[in-house]
Amino acid sequence: MQKPEREKRSVAARRPKLWRQLLMFFSVIGPGIITANADNDVGGIQTYSIAGAQFGYSMLWLLIPVTVALIVTQEMCARMGAVTGKGLADLIRENFGVRVTAIVLLLFVLSDLGNTAAEFAGIAFASPIFAQYLPFLNKFVLVPLAAVFVFTMVTRGNYRIVEKVFFAFCVVYLAYVASGFLVHPPWHEILLQTILPHFVPTQAYILTAIGVIGTTISPWMQFYIQSSVVEKGIRIKEYPYSRIDVITGAVITDVIAFFIVVACGATIYAHNAHLAPGGRPLSVSTAGDVATALAPLAGKYASLLFAFGLLNAAIFTASILPLSTAYYVCEAFGFQSGVENRFSQAPVFYSFYAALIVIGGGIVLVASDALQNVIIFYSQVLNGVLLPLVLVLMLLLVNNKRIMGKYTNNLAFNVIAWATVVIVGGLTFISTVQLIVGGSSGP
Amino acid sequence: MTATRTNEPVPFHDGFVSELVGRSVFVERDGVRGLVGRIADFVVERPQDTFPHIDAIIVKTKHGELAAPIGDLTSLDPAGLVLKKAPTVVRPPDDEALYLVEDLFDKQIVDVDGRKVERINDIQVARTGGALRVVAADIGVAGLLRRLGAAKVAPALIERIPRALIAWDNVAPLHDLSPTQIRLSVTEHRLSRLHPSELADIIGELSAQDAARVVGSLDDETAADAFEHLEPDVQRSIIDDLGTERAADIIEEMDSDDAADLLGDLPEDRQNELLAEMDAQTADDLRELVAYADDTAGGLMTTDYVWIFPHRTVEGTIAKIRQIAPETEFIYYLYVLDQAEKLLGVLSLRTLLLAEPSATIHTIMDQNIVSVRPGTSAEDVAGTIARYDLLACPVTDEHGMMLGIVTVDDAIDAIIPERLTKKLPRFTKRAQRRRAEAAT
Repeated sequence: MQKPEREKRSVAARRPKLWRQLLMFFSVIGPGIITANADNDVGGIQTYSIAGAQFGYSMLWLLIPVTVALIVTQEMCARMGAVTGKGLADLIRENFGVRVTAIVLLLFVLSDLGNTAAEFAGIAFASPIFAQYLPFLNKFVLVPLAAVFVFTMVTRGNYRIVEKVFFAFCVVYLAYVASGFLVHPPWHEILLQTILPHFVPTQAYILTAIGVIGTTISPWMQFYIQSSVVEKGIRIKEYPYSRIDVITGAVITDVIAFFIVVACGATIYAHNAHLAPGGRPLSVSTAGDVATALAPLAGKYASLLFAFGLLNAAIFTASILPLSTAYYVCEAFGFQSGVENRFSQAPVFYSFYAALIVIGGGIVLVASDALQNVIIFYSQVLNGVLLPLVLVLMLLLVNNKRIMGKYTNNLAFNVIAWATVVIVGGLTFISTVQLIVGGSSGP
Repeated sequence: MTATRTNEPVPFHDGFVSELVGRSVFVERDGVRGLVGRIADFVVERPQDTFPHIDAIIVKTKHGELAAPIGDLTSLDPAGLVLKKAPTVVRPPDDEALYLVEDLFDKQIVDVDGRKVERINDIQVARTGGALRVVAADIGVAGLLRRLGAAKVAPALIERIPRALIAWDNVAPLHDLSPTQIRLSVTEHRLSRLHPSELADIIGELSAQDAARVVGSLDDETAADAFEHLEPDVQRSIIDDLGTERAADIIEEMDSDDAADLLGDLPEDRQNELLAEMDAQTADDLRELVAYADDTAGGLMTTDYVWIFPHRTVEGTIAKIRQIAPETEFIYYLYVLDQAEKLLGVLSLRTLLLAEPSATIHTIMDQNIVSVRPGTSAEDVAGTIARYDLLACPVTDEHGMMLGIVTVDDAIDAIIPERLTKKLPRFTKRAQRRRAEAAT
């Protein structure tokens, strides 16, 4: 048969290898970076800023081991997602049964409720600063506005646009980096403090250190990165790029944490440390206090940037946390889920999600400050209980040959991972016990 | 199942596995009952039966888990299970039989009747036909609550919740474990009752590993049919998981335009690997089709059509069509070609059926041919089809040589704008189903 003339085939198959690789890289990044940045939520920012304000640069050394631990735990979940194509909640259900899943998810939901409240509280904290410029922006305006924005963007938005919006959120975190530079900190000293571990054995220091660890590695992140990897359809072939994404994300999140600590250390801590006798030290117990405290010390721009970063973090995390919680619960227990459904098609999912946002925001608007702190405090306690449990389950799953085939942890990885579990788990356990027993105002 | 007046426990008639697991197991000899353990699991040797019977009970004893053949069962009631003699069998670790708790609880299955993927919360068993049989899978909230122990606390509440049960003959299990022959045939047989697009919906909802396993368990034709309805990224992911030979077998069975689309999206070396495994004729056809860009007539066309020589009789042609129709995608127009494959004319099946059996084709064919070039854009092809009210449009080169046809369904698919409805996580696969449901 006479061969017809061929249309020149467009692009794809003929691209050189490097192009393909870059393309694959860009199509794969996202989960790691978004997850890691969502890690810097209001609770996180609060913890880091208090660490800096109360202890100066003496906690910076923690960030390096914590980053390593974060990378290890995130990587395991991303790998599980790429190999099995299933989310963490699904794997837990299939391998450990309904009861274990129910317990894990119950703790998850309760702690998420507290977290959501904390995010909205962050908006409330930041509002006085904005109110200085636009007086009507008090918390009763900003919190409901944020709640509505979060709900509609997520439920009506197109994922591609939403992912881009999330990336934009991530960029705004750089405001903290700017803040950190604006305060002109002593870089030489900072470098030393970061590299040399030193330990101040006071209870306050230990508790804050545990807070720093606990807020960086949160159980929620393990679930989220795994389901993100599954949703993007990342398979084990593309996985190496995903790994880079995870590492980049973890590094970025801790770099931002670094700058927050630095910004507060160079201003508030330094101010307090160099007080003349009889001078009143600046006391900071919330992120809002920090933002306010920055103004006289470092200028109104540092303060504004900080507050803006806080608002950004709050809205960003409030968009992700409750939605994914509703999603895992529905998936694990067989309720229809997903924002592409109409309300009538997935009533449990939508009601759950709406309830989380409404209750979270409501707590901030209605409850007294004391009650809010109690709620947020207990959600962190729950986090502390949940984290070691989830880590252990993860390790059992990731080392299971039946599930992971040849992609189980190698020995080195297992050593690091189990050490992380023991240390992190042990510390969070101790801190949880202490917090409950002592009832002290931890970070 | 409350006790009767005489305090005789009511024997088990039907109920749920979650209620049975954990019940005490006794051995009764000479009127003396001794506790030996608790019910741990149930074994089914022939899961391919419609309502398979339970063949053995796994009892958790202080010596470990031992199996008791069902024949040893004397009685079963709320107090417990009584055996004739103590369980002694140790089942092998790679046992091929189906274990209800270990293999089915919390695992995903396909509801063949509802055409969805579900997760088993509980399993209903009943004494019927002289045996204890697996009757249904409970996928609802009631099953969930029962598993969480709510039955002991609030049995009335559970009774009030509407049951969500799937009859066992509509259940196609999917397992994590490497599938045994028995399970494969169960899955394959039940899944093949589904229409290919429904099968594709289900495959699209599974995790990548499970999807590949399910496709792997189907026969080539069913797999190919389902494949044609899958999204390209799902297709690629499954092709990656199947061996080259199996993938090639399936692609061979697919309609050539869909096969060419799939191949076109793969990297060149993979394309060649797969083409090398196919039979020469198919491989050649596909190689040609792959060369065309997706949104042109060449990219949309299929080489699966009916062609005849002009000197043929109507009678002979009808006989030929009867022969090849089962295998041919499009039979409603016949294309008349000469020896050099030049397109001479077209006639519809209707014209053929209404003509005199002894007439020759060239007297009844329509020589006013509407055709397009391979480079014609998809929109223009669709426009031509619409303008001339065609079911398919032939594609010819500039010498009038027949290259293929573009069917109206493919033309429509190509011009409907792709809806930007990719929403947040996990929705793209479900979105397919939503769209399909919305369309019906």
